Amino acid sequence: MKKITAAITAVGGYVPDYVLTNAELEQMVDTSDDWITARFGIKERRILKGMDKGTSELCTPVALEICRRRGIQPEEIEVLILSTATPDRITPSTSLIVMSKIGASNAWGLDINAACSGFLCGLNIGASFIESGRYRNVMVISGDKMSAVVDYKDRTTCVLFGDGAGGVLLEPSEGGFGVMDVLLRSDVSDIDGLHIKAGGSARPATSITVDNREHFVQMNGKTVLKYAVPGMIQVVQDILHRNQLSVADLDWLVPHQANKRILEIVARELGIPLEKVMINIDRYGNTSAGTVPLCLWDYRDKLKNGDKLILVSIGAGFIWGASYVLWGADNYYK
Amino acid sequence: MKKVTAAITAVGGYVPDYVLTNSELETIAQISDEWIVSRSGIRERHILKGEGKATSDLCVPIAQEICRKRGISPEEVEAIIVATITPDMPMPCTANIVTDKIGACNAWGVDVNAACAGFLYAMDIGARFIESGRYKNVMIIGADKMSAIIDYTDKTTCSIFGDGGGGVLLEPNDEGYGVLDSILQTDGSGWKHLNIKAGGSARPANADTVAERAHYVYMNGGTIYKHAVTQLEKVARELLSRNHLSIDNISWLVPHQANKRIVDAVSQQLGIDAGKVMLNVHRYGNTTAGTLPLCIWDYEKQLKKDDKLVLVTFGAGFMWGSSYIKWAYDGS
Repeated sequence: MKKITAAITAVGGYVPDYVLTNAELEQMVDTSDDWITARFGIKERRILKGMDKGTSELCTPVALEICRRRGIQPEEIEVLILSTATPDRITPSTSLIVMSKIGASNAWGLDINAACSGFLCGLNIGASFIESGRYRNVMVISGDKMSAVVDYKDRTTCVLFGDGAGGVLLEPSEGGFGVMDVLLRSDVSDIDGLHIKAGGSARPATSITVDNREHFVQMNGKTVLKYAVPGMIQVVQDILHRNQLSVADLDWLVPHQANKRILEIVARELGIPLEKVMINIDRYGNTSAGTVPLCLWDYRDKLKNGDKLILVSIGAGFIWGASYVLWGADNYYK
Repeated sequence: MKKVTAAITAVGGYVPDYVLTNSELETIAQISDEWIVSRSGIRERHILKGEGKATSDLCVPIAQEICRKRGISPEEVEAIIVATITPDMPMPCTANIVTDKIGACNAWGVDVNAACAGFLYAMDIGARFIESGRYKNVMIIGADKMSAIIDYTDKTTCSIFGDGGGGVLLEPNDEGYGVLDSILQTDGSGWKHLNIKAGGSARPANADTVAERAHYVYMNGGTIYKHAVTQLEKVARELLSRNHLSIDNISWLVPHQANKRIVDAVSQQLGIDAGKVMLNVHRYGNTTAGTLPLCIWDYEKQLKKDDKLVLVTFGAGFMWGSSYIKWAYDGS
């Protein structure tokens, strides 16, 4: 019996129309285009405008694009795993709203939350679903409307984040394509490094939490850097090692887009040339759970059957990890 | 090659100390004990008191009990999935906080949000993790600090919900025990009957949402009752039929504890003896993602190896489902 693996058979992505440029941010907070570009490599980010628009508005076009590219109807989808830290509502789940909007009437779904590492966790779950033989397809979508949790008076965070989403379809492969391995780690000893203090069960929303601006992302850049650089390097080395791969075997590194400087350091330390590193942070900023699939979507035309990809991310917690993906599928991927 | 299944090898449960009785609710929300009992069968529920206490404070003793009963140290746990709609914070996720608090330094964690179906959905993920060979053990916890999102001036909800949770450890088994099948279903058109209006990305918290009390659970109980009873019977029958089981083969029905009337109606329609139906809603109320594992925990001593369990749940969304479990050990 051949081992079934979970191939990525379609990719979708979506960013909203409104472009928030560094020039506009200069009008809002004490910052400058030079400073933002030099420190983070970000030129612009997208913002979802409009009353009552939530993350489902980002994920719905992603799901529809995936169906279109793969040539399937929404009714054929069996499972939708949606990872987000910014669900439309606390309950019910955003996955349900997306399924409803696209007409995925035969699917079940659920939301997961693992902050910026949400896509890797979703991929891990989706791949297990396919490998177990219980499902013929699983859609994994990740996205965040970060503008809902970003304080546009906080110059240290508001320049970093943007809104966006991406996703993939997983299907069984007998040819050994797809998600070969996922390695995840967590360490919460510096929880204050990146978190949203209120709005959960520890500090439910009150007029005090609102006045104190506790519903916004709070970040200590130094702490994040302390975990992100060694964490991402180590987990990439570990996943390469346990799959008997060397850096030279890699075609693409697909890193979480939090800061261009971090990406460059990680790539340099690993010995991966920058032309093999997917980068789009300059245009989208950090879309949290959305970054990794948004990279795959942006670079999809450059990817070839048999390409070896390492996906790597780190996010609030901290939770970080890497995945080894053999790009392509048995017959049908171009 | 024998097929690997995911067996439940240990159970944990936890409810906080403070008991909120119907008579206390009579004082704070002007509702009578008689009214609550006749409508829901609930006599008391437990509340997590204390500034800054959150769902992870419910999960930690559960995780520790599971480790103790199974005789493993927290470092041996490979993955923790926490099903909750009341995470400690929007980020990081509660599962991560739990791994840290119990010292599960080799585990990773992720939260699942599927309301009252959360535990069943998370258990399905855990079972697939085990079946696919990716992990040797996965801890599944369902817990909610519902008191964080309940409006104690809203009669229709404040008597129903309580704080608590439970969990299980899943491990590979090659003798056919464990989570053998699940049917999970959703219908997004039900969202308007049970939801929280604000606090997400569609309506972030601000002075208005707080003033409008939009961060609390809104529930239209009557509509949910009708959908729940219909769908729970249907999904349980479908699960039985595709596993070639009749209701007489079932040792235990483990229903979501939302309301005793729903449990009674579903049991009656399925034709299962009341003595085979796990029930503890009178003591804990509806703990959302916590109810199913809290039932298994409460009844663990009565469970015997080879017992056939059918779990059913229905919640916000709507999201619902049913799982068939062959129990792997004698509980006593």
